[in-house]
Amino acid sequence: MTRVVVDREVCMSAGVCELEAPEVFELDTAGRLQVGEPTDLTAVETAVRACPTGALSLVEED
Amino acid sequence: MSSPTLDLDAVDLSDRRFWGAPPEQRHAVYDQLRRERPFAFFAEPVVPYIEPGPGYHAVTRYADVEAISCQPALFSSGAGAVSIADMPPDLNEFYGSLISMDDPRHGKIRRIVAKAFTPRVLEKLVGNVQAVADDVVARARRTAEDGDGTIDVVADLAAPIPLRVICDMMGVPEGDRALVLRQSNVILSGGDPELVEDEEQMVTAFLKAGEELAGLMARLAAERHAHPADDLTTALVTTEVDGERLTHQEIASFFILLLVAGNETTRNAISQGVLALSEHPAERERWAADPGLTRTAVEEIVRWTSPITWMRRTATQDVELSGQSFPAGSKFLLFYGAANRDPAVFADPHRFDLSRDPNPHVGFGSRGPHFCLGAHLARREIGVAFRAFADQLPDLEVTGPPARLESSFVNGLKRLPARLTGVR
Repeated sequence: MTRVVVDREVCMSAGVCELEAPEVFELDTAGRLQVGEPTDLTAVETAVRACPTGALSLVEED
Repeated sequence: MSSPTLDLDAVDLSDRRFWGAPPEQRHAVYDQLRRERPFAFFAEPVVPYIEPGPGYHAVTRYADVEAISCQPALFSSGAGAVSIADMPPDLNEFYGSLISMDDPRHGKIRRIVAKAFTPRVLEKLVGNVQAVADDVVARARRTAEDGDGTIDVVADLAAPIPLRVICDMMGVPEGDRALVLRQSNVILSGGDPELVEDEEQMVTAFLKAGEELAGLMARLAAERHAHPADDLTTALVTTEVDGERLTHQEIASFFILLLVAGNETTRNAISQGVLALSEHPAERERWAADPGLTRTAVEEIVRWTSPITWMRRTATQDVELSGQSFPAGSKFLLFYGAANRDPAVFADPHRFDLSRDPNPHVGFGSRGPHFCLGAHLARREIGVAFRAFADQLPDLEVTGPPARLESSFVNGLKRLPARLTGVR
């Protein structure tokens, strides 16, 4: 299974991921990134690539 | 693109007149610098009352712009990102806000601000972008009809859209908006003689403009404390992260940043986008016929126009870039417009192609913590504006060359004459 990992030290809450994959990423009212199940993998991969601070990565788990 | 060889020794990127010339000239220079002198060294422009510094390197290759942007610990913004000279620290922070800060302070403030600036909050706040664009377009048509059919693309279309959107977001009353436009023009004039009449008075003019905006902010903030409203200013004065609030000074300088950055950049992307479409009529027709092109078209307009010419970074220690060594304290100007035409990244870079995809341009800055906070707002404004132009101003015709802002920092137009051919 694929999981999204957020590096909290690096995340700047730019919201680019939320624009690319709004079903998966949401900045909550505290500006903290919430990550759901990576349903649409293509959109998630785009979001990971688009992150301006490189805070997102995908890991494979069994 | 093969271009005649220029005498690079005769080129001075610190001369504001260079930036008032047609963009073909700067792109020819960028191309040659990128090939021959990717870290070309220039003396600093003379600013009255400011001690001139040691000079700077003009970074023109995409890979180097990216390498510098994504290593903020080695390449600092805190020494000043929006001026070539080192400004006094308080001035620097006041006018640069987040832009001229490093972590951890930058991270703290950016996170507080981001809370008020998430895509979903924006969605709610700027649901009216469409209404603003429609209204601006309708007024432009009335202006043409009431006069001789002519309009100024800058004053009648490009300036009012972002001005109204950002002022709506911040809750700036109607009566104060002319002041916002006037003072943000001064702050980003780069000393253009039309906006700052006396160069000797440039610093004074900046200070006065900042003071007026800060005064407006203080008034608004006090009002919002007493009567919270559904706007960004309320969010900024009430937001807390880990028990910390923005100080009054931080709010004032962020307010100025938003007003200035939210106005000038989008305005210049829109006005120069109109110019680019008039120079590429086949692309204009293609977009008019296919609204599905909007996503990639917006990115191409930002790449093509690169409204912010550079941001500065300063080496915090001895550094190496593409095999070259630079001592601590070296200044680098990241020329985004040059990186955005780098053939190593963009196929046929001097071609204006509305369906260019992928388009990893650095018009909003390159990868790193200073990536444009308002990128999603800007994208939306530009997309909505150009669809409104395509649908409601198909008879818009640029009639003459633009008046370019003589500023090295903002790639801007002061005026772009046009007419609506449907008006008789």
